[in-house]
Amino acid sequence: MATTAPPEGLPVSRPTYADVTRDIVATLGNPGRIYYGLLAFVITILLIGFGALLYQIKVGLGVAGYTPPVMWGVYITTFVFWVGIAHSGTLISAILFLFRSAWRTAVYRTAEAMTVFAVMTAGLFPLIHVGRLWYAYWLIPYPNQRMLWVNFKSPLVWDLFAIGTYFTVSTCFLIVGLIPDVAAVRDKATGWRKKLYTITSLNWRGTDQQWRHYTRAYLYLAALATPLVLSVHSVVSWDFAMGIVPGWHATIFAPYFVAGAIYSGVAMVVTLLVPLRRVFKLERYITTDHFENLSKLLLLTGMIVAYAYATEYFIAWYSGNTFEQASFWNRAFGDYWWATWTMIICNGFLPFFLWFKKIRRCIPALFVLSLFVNLGMWFERFVIIVVSLSFEYEPYAMGHYTPSWVEWAIMAGSFAWFFMWFLLFAKNFPTVSIAEVKEIIPMPRKKA
Amino acid sequence: MTGKVLPVAKGIVALALVGVVLYATFHAVQAQQTQTPPERFIAPVDVDTAGLPGPVQPIFYRHDVHAGQYEMDCLYCHYAAEVSSSPGLPSLDACMGCHLLVGGGNPEVAKLREAVNEGRPVEWVEVHKLPPFVHFPHMRHVLSDAEIECQDCHGEIERMPQVYQFASLKMGWCLECHETEEATTDCTACHY
Amino acid sequence: MGKEMDRRRFLKVLGVTSGGAAAVGCSTGTPEKLVPYLVPPENQIPGVATYYASTCRECPAGCGVHVRVREGRAVKVEGNPGSPFNGGKLCARGQASLQGLYNPDRLRGPMARGADGGLAPISWDDAYARIVERLGSTAGDRVAFVTGNESGTFDRLVNAWLTALGSQGRLVFEPFGYEALRYANQQVFGVDALPSYRFAEARYVLSFGSDFLETWINPVQNTREFAEAHSVTEEGMGRYVHIEPRMSMSGINADEWIAPNTGTEAVLALAIANVVLADHGGNAPSDVFRVRQLLEQYDPESAAGVCGVPAETIRRLAAEFSENSSLAIAGGMGNQHDQAHAAAAAVGILNYVAGNVGRTVVFGSDPDPGAGSTYRGLADLTQRMRDGGVDVLFVHGANPAYNAPSGLGFGEALGQVDLTVSFARVLDETAAHADLILPDHDPLEQWNDFEPRAGTYLLQQPVMQPVFDTRQTGDVLLALAGQLGASVAGRFSAQTYKEYLQAAWRTRQNQLGGRGVAFDDFWAASQQAGGVYQPEPTRAQRLDRNVGGLTFSSWSGIAGSGDLTLMAYPSSVFYDGRGASRPWLQELPDPVSKITWGSWVEIHPETAAEHGIVDGDFVEVTSAHGTAVAPAFLYPGIRRDVIAMPLGQGHSELGRYAQDRGANVYNLLSSEPTEFGGLSHYQAVSIRATGEHEVLASPAGRSRQMGRGIAQSTTYEHVEAGDAHPFHVEHAAEVPEAIEQVLDEWQAAQDRERAIGNYAGDHPRWGLAIDLSRCTGCSACVTACYSENNIPVVGKLGVQRGREMSWLRIERYFEGGEGDEPLTVEILPMMCQQCGHAPCEPVCPVFAAYHTSDGLNGQIYNRCVGTRYCSNNCPYKVRYFNWWDHSDENSAAHSFPEPLHLQLNPDVTVRDKGVMEKCTFCVQRIRGKQNQAVLEDREIADGEIMTACQQGCPADAITFGDLNDPNSAVSRLSQSDLGYRVLDGLNTDPGVTYLMRVRHTVEE
Repeated sequence: MATTAPPEGLPVSRPTYADVTRDIVATLGNPGRIYYGLLAFVITILLIGFGALLYQIKVGLGVAGYTPPVMWGVYITTFVFWVGIAHSGTLISAILFLFRSAWRTAVYRTAEAMTVFAVMTAGLFPLIHVGRLWYAYWLIPYPNQRMLWVNFKSPLVWDLFAIGTYFTVSTCFLIVGLIPDVAAVRDKATGWRKKLYTITSLNWRGTDQQWRHYTRAYLYLAALATPLVLSVHSVVSWDFAMGIVPGWHATIFAPYFVAGAIYSGVAMVVTLLVPLRRVFKLERYITTDHFENLSKLLLLTGMIVAYAYATEYFIAWYSGNTFEQASFWNRAFGDYWWATWTMIICNGFLPFFLWFKKIRRCIPALFVLSLFVNLGMWFERFVIIVVSLSFEYEPYAMGHYTPSWVEWAIMAGSFAWFFMWFLLFAKNFPTVSIAEVKEIIPMPRKKA
Repeated sequence: MTGKVLPVAKGIVALALVGVVLYATFHAVQAQQTQTPPERFIAPVDVDTAGLPGPVQPIFYRHDVHAGQYEMDCLYCHYAAEVSSSPGLPSLDACMGCHLLVGGGNPEVAKLREAVNEGRPVEWVEVHKLPPFVHFPHMRHVLSDAEIECQDCHGEIERMPQVYQFASLKMGWCLECHETEEATTDCTACHY
Repeated sequence: MGKEMDRRRFLKVLGVTSGGAAAVGCSTGTPEKLVPYLVPPENQIPGVATYYASTCRECPAGCGVHVRVREGRAVKVEGNPGSPFNGGKLCARGQASLQGLYNPDRLRGPMARGADGGLAPISWDDAYARIVERLGSTAGDRVAFVTGNESGTFDRLVNAWLTALGSQGRLVFEPFGYEALRYANQQVFGVDALPSYRFAEARYVLSFGSDFLETWINPVQNTREFAEAHSVTEEGMGRYVHIEPRMSMSGINADEWIAPNTGTEAVLALAIANVVLADHGGNAPSDVFRVRQLLEQYDPESAAGVCGVPAETIRRLAAEFSENSSLAIAGGMGNQHDQAHAAAAAVGILNYVAGNVGRTVVFGSDPDPGAGSTYRGLADLTQRMRDGGVDVLFVHGANPAYNAPSGLGFGEALGQVDLTVSFARVLDETAAHADLILPDHDPLEQWNDFEPRAGTYLLQQPVMQPVFDTRQTGDVLLALAGQLGASVAGRFSAQTYKEYLQAAWRTRQNQLGGRGVAFDDFWAASQQAGGVYQPEPTRAQRLDRNVGGLTFSSWSGIAGSGDLTLMAYPSSVFYDGRGASRPWLQELPDPVSKITWGSWVEIHPETAAEHGIVDGDFVEVTSAHGTAVAPAFLYPGIRRDVIAMPLGQGHSELGRYAQDRGANVYNLLSSEPTEFGGLSHYQAVSIRATGEHEVLASPAGRSRQMGRGIAQSTTYEHVEAGDAHPFHVEHAAEVPEAIEQVLDEWQAAQDRERAIGNYAGDHPRWGLAIDLSRCTGCSACVTACYSENNIPVVGKLGVQRGREMSWLRIERYFEGGEGDEPLTVEILPMMCQQCGHAPCEPVCPVFAAYHTSDGLNGQIYNRCVGTRYCSNNCPYKVRYFNWWDHSDENSAAHSFPEPLHLQLNPDVTVRDKGVMEKCTFCVQRIRGKQNQAVLEDREIADGEIMTACQQGCPADAITFGDLNDPNSAVSRLSQSDLGYRVLDGLNTDPGVTYLMRVRHTVEE
């Protein structure tokens, strides 16, 4: 055939460089009423959550629904949830970059921003959940006159480092990635934004030398970020795997958690991209192909997660450890059966629909599915944490935990916090990489 | 209740008196035994309370006079320090043991007598304060092999017209000594 | 005046105490005031505890106590080792007497009812004036005086005082009067008295519903002696059979539980006696012929029909009973139906024919918890009051308005009395009707004495200055006498009650063995010993001449109508309800139901199923006399046709902790006195579910062990056969050599770090051994722990949320009990196991949980950040988190409202909001002794350090010591074949060893 198929991820209706810049800069135009409405809404929720937090700090953790022996509840559940969300960003932007998969260009910016904001959200919860927030800094190893040190045997200390590193690196990655685009926008912007962009574009002029250093730096950062995708959630999983709680103490946890994290992360990317693409009219750049690729990722990780569930139950049975067996029996048929089955259905069964190309390419279906996956992944953490704790070794000391309004409020607040940042980002920075999209558009030639 | 303690009071006053007499004679004897009596510290006559470091006390009790000029042993008043975790605050009785006889003209002593007559305790302001989650056994330190002097932690009390906190009393400060003296650094030695 | 004055007096008492008031809340900030003593109290050194001997007055048993006093305030009540009754042990109620002293709801001064009908403060003089004025215009015989059991000098003072007024109106009222027992002894032996029961000599105990480990006569002594006699020794093991429709806490400790048809104990006992006499009459005294004819009417076969107990069981019991040195007991208040006297009489006969009278049942010392009181006496007085026969009524140490059925109408009858004077310390139901309240001193503030039985003269002395503006009733009476004109005043030489008391003792000095000693020395000596203990006088007892004529009316069924029988049984925690004002007791889980802060209805699961009732459903219990509503507790240890409710809750007064909590079961009972003059605690009732439901305020998550071997038991057969081995749920996984080595090296390194100062040399490893065969589940240790370690109470909602802070809890598990298989109940005290490889330690990010070099799991409160990881990782779930600010007086969760904060142990930090806390084997006691030992330059002797729980345990079930010392008691016990460690399979290497419970069961 005469016409060659467009390279993967290339906008269908061949835009020119000018189109790209125009279309994407257009997304930064003056926000409408709906945008402000949304912003106001999330900020309200955020304030409610913050109020609840102050109340909890003043009166004590008792205002949360904790029922010993369940000493960790919604807070840690949500913490792990957000850390999980954070993962796909780096995966898409760093790993796919190293693999030179072109289709990432349109979506990686969103994913990366999401990563940073998710980590920012996750980072709050360890603070929210400790009994004496005002002493939380004791977890940081710093020399002090009391000659006291932190306990490096404690996974919580590892957490501190894992999350800290991840936040630093992914933030750098995002900012560096933004430089050329911000520069492009800078030239069109006015007022305070101009100042903002001038600073964040680090005096980018697009000279060859700058490009050479830039690409090099970006490559290094990508290489640096890649192992974190695996390490961070492994460390988080060890918070549990290092414990002796039946249902926690399993070697499968690290891969299981990483897969789950990417799974939930990709789902969140889909959840964000669908409306974004619609609102910003980016159909030309974020195409169905992108969604299909994303859903292939979903399918892959979803299968791993489903397999992990099966393995957990198998091992519980196969180990012959009566406590494990009881714990898993309790998960499926105990007081919390509903949580367990929500998780299994959302994460274990629904992804099977993605075997069908129709569904992979049906954006509304994907959107709904992604919501279910998010829900399911939250419940996965709930089941692992709460249900395991409520059914441990000492029958006399077993208890039933129900979250209180304070916990729900603070959790809602965390979502608000996340979306607030995302909304602000979406209107002030290009959510699709101008520079990289241009890279994959063939050079404009003179008409023959 | 006063009815109940009055006889006790009498008893203790008597005891205190005997104690003082013995103490005085003992000192006299000592003084004779020491040839070339050392330069004796004379507490400055009058100092204005406000200007001095440390909290102002309801009665301007002069450690520099009692412990310094008259060289009274710390344990004479803080009698519990070598047997108890608490140093013991002398009862007003103990004060009156001497001040029935001496210091009559002194306005501060007058305050003391007034308080005793009214049966009203003097509310001293605490100078050395440990947080309640620390347990400091005075006796272990007073009688330790490290031969710790009261002054090591409380400073030159016998030169202080008005007592102020000399050491920080912070954990780091405790540990320095415990490390050098090879005393225990187990947390539950002090925290429980 | 009022509060300010009080505070001032406290400060004066407190002396130098930066540990006292300041310890409440770790708040630094405004400079603390140091307040010296005006006059230092005798032999008190600030910072050093002083112990005063006194007598516990929480129940009529008369246990000796040592009160620990710091800086002039009582901080703990412990048993007096010199006491022949409790020998250094003390029950939960006794431990909690401290909260009677510091109860925030104590009346802070005299009160008078004003014109508006409300109570208002009044000066003592005005109060006296009112009484004197009223007494002046009253004929003596229209004056009545109700007291509780006051056997002693105060008792005589009251009588003398009334006599002086020309009144006969003295009434002693003890709700637990043991009328049935005394009446029965009158019938069988012709004496209206109680014998003393020698559990120490009894290798075989047959209890017909006597809760002798809970409230019956002298529970602590009973427990001590029973635990000793019942335990496994070379000679064998004691055996205990409990016969009651319901398995009480005592029943839980039985080797066999028999639930005969309700109220047929008499027939059962007679049938047993019949077989004993017929087949094993060897030990029978000569005069059993008096009862032979009587007994012959009760052959096992016919009896079996009546009681629903198989004839062969009856024969077996008879055989066992006569083959061992045995003891049968009856007359428990819980089992007091209107045939209780028959049961008691039958048991008396049983004991006699088995030759136990004079051996294990000894008359002569006449212990009398009821002080000769009967419920009928109260009924008569109430009638007199209603008829307007009483103008002035004094009430002291009794609360008839609560401890009698509402049908009696004592409260209303008080309306007919012109002037009611109450001496209540806390506003109780009776005082609420009084015109004048002259609050008495707390027993810990009093001079007094007490004679629980002949030959025992106990002393009470004030251990600290009165907390409030109260006056001892003895002083009040003497003062009043002084103002009542020469005729009265002339009879009393003493000005104060102390003088009166001393005078009484002076006259008896020789009789009390003080011959040839100056009185002051004798007095001081008695004071230090807590009293004078003479050997019990004994008296040979023969059957009454007319015993043969006794007729045992065959059981006519429970009075009233209803398909179920209600047992109103005494709460082992609240006794007759007087303990309900103590927060420690309210939060102490009932040994059987484990429910706190309220009442409950014990229903057999099958009965419950019939009525569609599940745990926590509210049940309305209706009798002919009233109704009560309480949540259901499904209990397999009760007959299907019986339900049971504990007495002691449902107060309409008695302060914030007791008020409007649970149901007052007295109101369900018939106010009609029984034949023996007591109150029948049985009622026919009907029940229905109200439809409401609540989460039971109980720490018991699950009541079944799921085969995890937490609380293990075996039978004596296995022990004899030498094959009694505890089983392990999961064998300790093989730890690779390398890992074992690393662990050890790490431990060694840790030790080296601290192996300086007083930890130099080999370290002890502190450990506990807990003998489950001895543990009765009485929970005295729990309250002792609360008291020693400043543990806050969290209230009902807290317990419902599982947030109780009880560092030491008594776990209760049911085994069997479904269908026809017999129920056994396992009991296990669970506290921090001080693991050698503690899962809690490595996960703490800040070393707040760490391993001390003497083998404790240290918990440093002020270092704790509150991640709660340690608790998640603790397989025993013995770490407790401060969800609220219990130490801050401004917080809603404040647990120590003034003056309750004075109970706080200055040696232990009061924990802040947001920190984890737990048992550390009373590390403050360990460090205290270590300091002492270093000062005295000596080693610590084995058994010198006692944990609070061990010290309190009436059964001596707990042993503390150094596991590294092969000769220490604890390490020897830990080597026992019966020893096991909970969840050993997890390789936590716990420092607590449990010895399996041994049951002396028999094959049918």
